[in-house]
Amino acid sequence: MKFYVVFLIILVALVAGCTSPAPSSTLTTSSTPSPSAPSTSTAITATPQVSGDFIDGDSGGDAETLNWILAADAASFSYVGHTVDSLATYDNNWNVVLRHMARPVEISKDDLTYTITIRDDLEWSDGQKVTAGDYVYTLKNLMFSDWLNYPYRSDWQETVNGETVFVEPVVVNDTTFTIKRRTVDPEFADNAIYGLTPYPEHIVIKYEGDAQAFTQAPELNDLSFTGNLGPYRFQEWVRNDKFVAQRNPDFYLGQSGPDAGSPFFEHFEIKLFGTSTAMQAALEAGDITSAGIEPEDVAKFKSMPDIKVYTEPTSGYDIVVLNQRQNGWEGLRNKAVRQALAMSISKQEVINSVRLGFADPAFSFIPKPSPWYTDEGVSQFGFGSLYNKEEAKQILAGAGYEIKTVEGKPALQGRDGKPVKLTLVTTPGSSISENLAFLVKQELTDIGIEVEIKEVPWATLLRQYVMNKVPDQDQQPGYNNGPAAVSEQPWDLIIMAFNTNPVAPSGSRVFFTSDGGLNYWGYSNPAVDERFIEVSTAAAIDPEVRKKIYSELSRTIADDLPVIFLTFPRGNSGFRSNVAGIDPGMRLSWNYHKWYFAQP
Amino acid sequence: MRRGELQGYVLKRLLYAVLITFGVVTITFILLRLGPTSPADKYLANMSARTQDPAQVAAAIESRYGLDRPLWQQYGNYVANLFRGNWGWSFSTSMPVMSLIKQHWIYSFQLILLSLIFSALLGILIGLYSAVRQYTKLDYLATFFSFIGISVPNFWLGIMLILLFSVQLGWFKTYYDTGLPILSLANLKALVLPVITLGTGMMAGYTRYTRAAVLDNLRLDVVKTARAKGLPESLVIGNHVLRNAILPVITIIMFDLSSVVFGGVYLTEVIFGIPGLGRISFNAIFASDYPVVTTITLIGSLVVLLTNLATDIVYTWFDPRIRYD
Repeated sequence: MKFYVVFLIILVALVAGCTSPAPSSTLTTSSTPSPSAPSTSTAITATPQVSGDFIDGDSGGDAETLNWILAADAASFSYVGHTVDSLATYDNNWNVVLRHMARPVEISKDDLTYTITIRDDLEWSDGQKVTAGDYVYTLKNLMFSDWLNYPYRSDWQETVNGETVFVEPVVVNDTTFTIKRRTVDPEFADNAIYGLTPYPEHIVIKYEGDAQAFTQAPELNDLSFTGNLGPYRFQEWVRNDKFVAQRNPDFYLGQSGPDAGSPFFEHFEIKLFGTSTAMQAALEAGDITSAGIEPEDVAKFKSMPDIKVYTEPTSGYDIVVLNQRQNGWEGLRNKAVRQALAMSISKQEVINSVRLGFADPAFSFIPKPSPWYTDEGVSQFGFGSLYNKEEAKQILAGAGYEIKTVEGKPALQGRDGKPVKLTLVTTPGSSISENLAFLVKQELTDIGIEVEIKEVPWATLLRQYVMNKVPDQDQQPGYNNGPAAVSEQPWDLIIMAFNTNPVAPSGSRVFFTSDGGLNYWGYSNPAVDERFIEVSTAAAIDPEVRKKIYSELSRTIADDLPVIFLTFPRGNSGFRSNVAGIDPGMRLSWNYHKWYFAQP
Repeated sequence: MRRGELQGYVLKRLLYAVLITFGVVTITFILLRLGPTSPADKYLANMSARTQDPAQVAAAIESRYGLDRPLWQQYGNYVANLFRGNWGWSFSTSMPVMSLIKQHWIYSFQLILLSLIFSALLGILIGLYSAVRQYTKLDYLATFFSFIGISVPNFWLGIMLILLFSVQLGWFKTYYDTGLPILSLANLKALVLPVITLGTGMMAGYTRYTRAAVLDNLRLDVVKTARAKGLPESLVIGNHVLRNAILPVITIIMFDLSSVVFGGVYLTEVIFGIPGLGRISFNAIFASDYPVVTTITLIGSLVVLLTNLATDIVYTWFDPRIRYD
């Protein structure tokens, strides 16, 4: 009989699951009614008190290591960041906010020497002071070393007379060190210095030179050295399950001033979920405090009184990569053709039907919230009046590609007289990529281009389509092996997502310069190469000059279309509505040590 | 079967198991290294975010883990370390592989064990009842639900159970809590939904297999004779029907054990956030974490071989006529 009871329960569950769930007001843990719009920190009047555990749901991958210098993945840096602050961070307006630094970086008149002064109240767990020597040791003996293979060492390298060399860190006194460069880089502080976190020299020195011992050192893998350097202290990491940090009562910022008493949560936990559906169910049930919300579920969560949803811009962008190498359609090497293709793909349609309204149109590589963003003179292909398929057909005809009508449908003729058929490659498993692929196919079909969609696994995409080498040469495949290199398999279009550092976009040179390390599609424009060099010269130290260079770059790239820019997606984050102190913006969590649970 | 015969047989099978496992590990090792993946692949997204040259990052990572050495050297080191009891260092989780497995096996084991008990007990009992009461309303009901149980994908069932019992009714937490002591009622409660999710399909299968096997045996002459001799129905069913009918069901259960260990448990672990070996191995495959993948393959092979051996031994208990000499 039990059997039937169990199955009846399951049947009821199945039926219930098919209906849209009602707001779970009976399960709420919130005591604060949700305002109709997200509130800012200034709207919260309750006094912060230390209470409760903040559980942040995450459906991405787990971190690989807490020994951050070995990490190449974002999650590892994120976990460690709860226990060790960096030298500085940014607020939502991209103002530099000091963390371990006592005062802003001082830059010499020749723009080559950076003087960094750290706070004098930073301590390791054993009570020893954190000194400038620890930072310099971390740089010289760990990050620049050959034995450790720090993956992001190029942040600290420069090219001098054709040679790649490291910058020179030097200890000045206990709290001050300098970093000397031989070439000017206006974004060096943004790209490298502000993110620097130290290792304790007196602990690490015993592992120096032995990569295996360093990799497996218990103190470095359990973050037991972090002292008062971050708002939380490491408590537990269960792989593929959760990372738990406990409140650090000695947190250097929490001792006085506007940050006094912070952080205000007993524990900060990152809980990993295998699916976003399960994660969102946990948020709805009140089992976790925050989670990312899928676009299709935003309306549902916004209607729940005990959840607040924040929609913020991100620094990523969706693109259609155009193969301009010899094994792609030759038309893609023609700027007019690229413009015609971009004119045929509606960005508004991408926003509406793929991103469900949570995106902004993208025309170039710098996102709107960046201080370097401009839309002045930037061509807006695929948007407004420049979404025009008839004009696109005329441009194609002007470029030598006639459209004939075959069986009542338009068919673009290649130079060889055969219908043009393009191969669009994407990876399976992401509904966004799949929907983008189908939308692009549909749009290009309207101007007579047949598109074949190929879905291949990520590893195959990298090995067979992205990596390239010069044919018949004994060369290791790479992401950009020069203009003569081609991928193993021919392709024309790839759906991808890239990212721009909004405050230091010059890093995008890896995508758009002729020898850029990630320019696997073979784009080359000497004017763009020159602008990217220019933006790293002494002249560009002046923000006005830099803004001008970025404006020119934005205009050139928007006009040249090395890739077809589609959208800058917006991210949606759901919080239990009793979480107070949040400062809405692109950098939503910049002040997370000041968040707290509003008391009833 | 005599005791000596059985011991010899078991020893021979164990020796085979070791050889087969070694072969499986070697093939896995070579295939993984020859495959078109690298532990650096998954960093491309982050490299793009940090606008780094991927070739440099990939080279640094491969060099750190010795993946830039010749294959024969990597294999030699691996085997030598294996004999020293060093199963390697997991570079996707930053801990010794053995510690990783020691920390996580229990989550999969408890889920698999409870699901097997739940599904086998209920499945066999319902199947037996259904066969003995053939063509009654309850038999039709059991058959109907066993069809549903087989048809419902467990990832869908799991999500539906969470939405009803966790989100709507609030009876259970939406995810498994690793902070609970394994031997506690709270842990048992936390496993209710995962066990139903994983066990429902298997239970439905056992119901159908048991029903069919019992029906076959009910028609045998030995059963008719037992009934004619006036034996009580419970003895007829217990001694003459179930004992014979159970053998194929045991084979299926053991087969399920292997398939659950190798994959079935993964989806349930994903849905309920259980950090068991299913998730560990799945993530290790995607991270090209060779030491973890090879070790889990090795353990999986041993589980299959040992469960097969256990099945053969259990056969002799149920049917003394079986000999292995």
